[in-house]
Amino acid sequence: MTQTSAQQAQAHLVVLNPRGEIPPPVTLGISPRVASLDGKKIVLVDNGKFGASNFLDVLAELLKGSYPNASIVMYPKPAAQTITNVPKWYPTVKQQGDLFIFGVGD
Amino acid sequence: MPGLYFITSEFREDAKSAAKDRGMPGIRVLELPADKYYPGRERKEELRPLASDCFDRMADALTRPLTAEEARPSPMQMQRQDAHIEVTGDDFLEAAEKVNESFLASRWADGLPIVPPTPKLVKAMMAGTTRSPQEVIGQVSPKNGIATVEKIAINAVMAGAKPEYFPVILAAMEGFTDKKYDLTHVQASTGSFTPVVVIDGPIAQELGFNSGIGMLGHGWRANSTVGRALRLSLLNLGQTWPQVNDMALTGRLEAYTFFTFAEDTARSPWEPYHVSLGYKPEDSTVTVASSGNPLVLGGGAVLPWTGQGVIDQIVARIKTAGVVWPHSQTYILVLHPDCAVDLANHGYIRKSLQEYLYEQTRVPYEKLAGPVFFGHDTEIEFIKKSIEDGRIRADRAPIFLEALKPGGRVPVVQSPADFHIIVAGGSPGYDLLFSYPGTNWANQTKPIRGATLTIAGRG
Repeated sequence: MTQTSAQQAQAHLVVLNPRGEIPPPVTLGISPRVASLDGKKIVLVDNGKFGASNFLDVLAELLKGSYPNASIVMYPKPAAQTITNVPKWYPTVKQQGDLFIFGVGD
Repeated sequence: MPGLYFITSEFREDAKSAAKDRGMPGIRVLELPADKYYPGRERKEELRPLASDCFDRMADALTRPLTAEEARPSPMQMQRQDAHIEVTGDDFLEAAEKVNESFLASRWADGLPIVPPTPKLVKAMMAGTTRSPQEVIGQVSPKNGIATVEKIAINAVMAGAKPEYFPVILAAMEGFTDKKYDLTHVQASTGSFTPVVVIDGPIAQELGFNSGIGMLGHGWRANSTVGRALRLSLLNLGQTWPQVNDMALTGRLEAYTFFTFAEDTARSPWEPYHVSLGYKPEDSTVTVASSGNPLVLGGGAVLPWTGQGVIDQIVARIKTAGVVWPHSQTYILVLHPDCAVDLANHGYIRKSLQEYLYEQTRVPYEKLAGPVFFGHDTEIEFIKKSIEDGRIRADRAPIFLEALKPGGRVPVVQSPADFHIIVAGGSPGYDLLFSYPGTNWANQTKPIRGATLTIAGRG
């Protein structure tokens, strides 16, 4: 286990790395932004955690005030739909509008 | 579809990590200050200043043109690690201390001293199994690290495990990496869940696992180091770290060794748990599951108890536990041997006890009015949706449909088999109820095989 040099009286220890290889995921770019929020259909995705709907309600009020021509869609994420089965519910968000705001993540 | 994610500041690293893990490092995220958001989230008037403060940044994040890297992020490379690390000290102890400091600084250790995983010790660990060092046992979430036999052996050495324990550790890792096990949730959730690891069959006694008084405590090397080897393997191969991507708010009750114990098959009045699943008595198995904080029941050495009284207590607690979440709820009931014998003397076998618990914990339809954990459905709406989208199995759906009407009594789990009953503990003893809402497939039982240093587990 140790290789001790009598001359230097030192212990030299070689140990193995406990971490494994991580296969790289396919990288994806994010979607191009919109030029303005004005006139857009904005989907507010409520992740269902306590307080999120309150925050998104407030955000909706502010959006309506600043962008009167925008429309707001409140979208409660289906209960117990986690990151592992996003494919099942995400397309339904896409059908609702032009862009989304998701909150509040923890 | 362009989008933006709001998070709280406590989850900054977690969000970055998750985005990268899923190949979208460029997602745009805005933080809300955690110290203001959580105390104020019940009242819109307290959230208004937070929303106003970030409003312009939100609009900017949705309209500012993408950078080239955001639009086309550079491909990620296979994350490889140096195969070995070398340290030098004035003597072995100093070198070992340097290994400990280096590993903890690299987030490769759990905070307790580790055994330096030298090639010689790792080779000795792998001699405990016939399985090839390069065999892939599975991938460990959240980062999907590749768990080879050799990598698990390195972590087992660090934990202080003996080579003869290694086949148990490998079988448990097969369970954790089974796609049906809810590993991302268990590894990362704020819910602070703790894995439960139960060893059954003759290997438990051969290796000296404790199944009696103190079964969840210290003092038994098999329980402690098998659990710790799994702790370190999940940490290093899934690459998790508290406050980064392991967001268990309280940490875990058994942070270093998990809930690792053996069933007391000798004192159980019933067939061993693994036999009830279809294994042979001579087989050895390990079951991995998950739990929130367990409920402790019974009287121990202090108060009188009866088996039926304990069961009634469990029924009452489950019926008043809160949200009915049958599509994924599961329970592990650990009865101490005297309690199991008392129940057996009153005519219960494991199956009839499962059926009793299933029937008695049903909740009147009229009581199902509350909201579910997430979203805005009531319990009734949620269960109906669970039937529609197949989360409640087709063969169980008619039972729920029949129950979801006035006068009906709705099961809290999908089937009696979702009450897993195991016998372990002292005399006198307490009984434990482990509960997990994540998935009812989380209990994964795997055969222990390939052992070279024990009589059991060679199959």
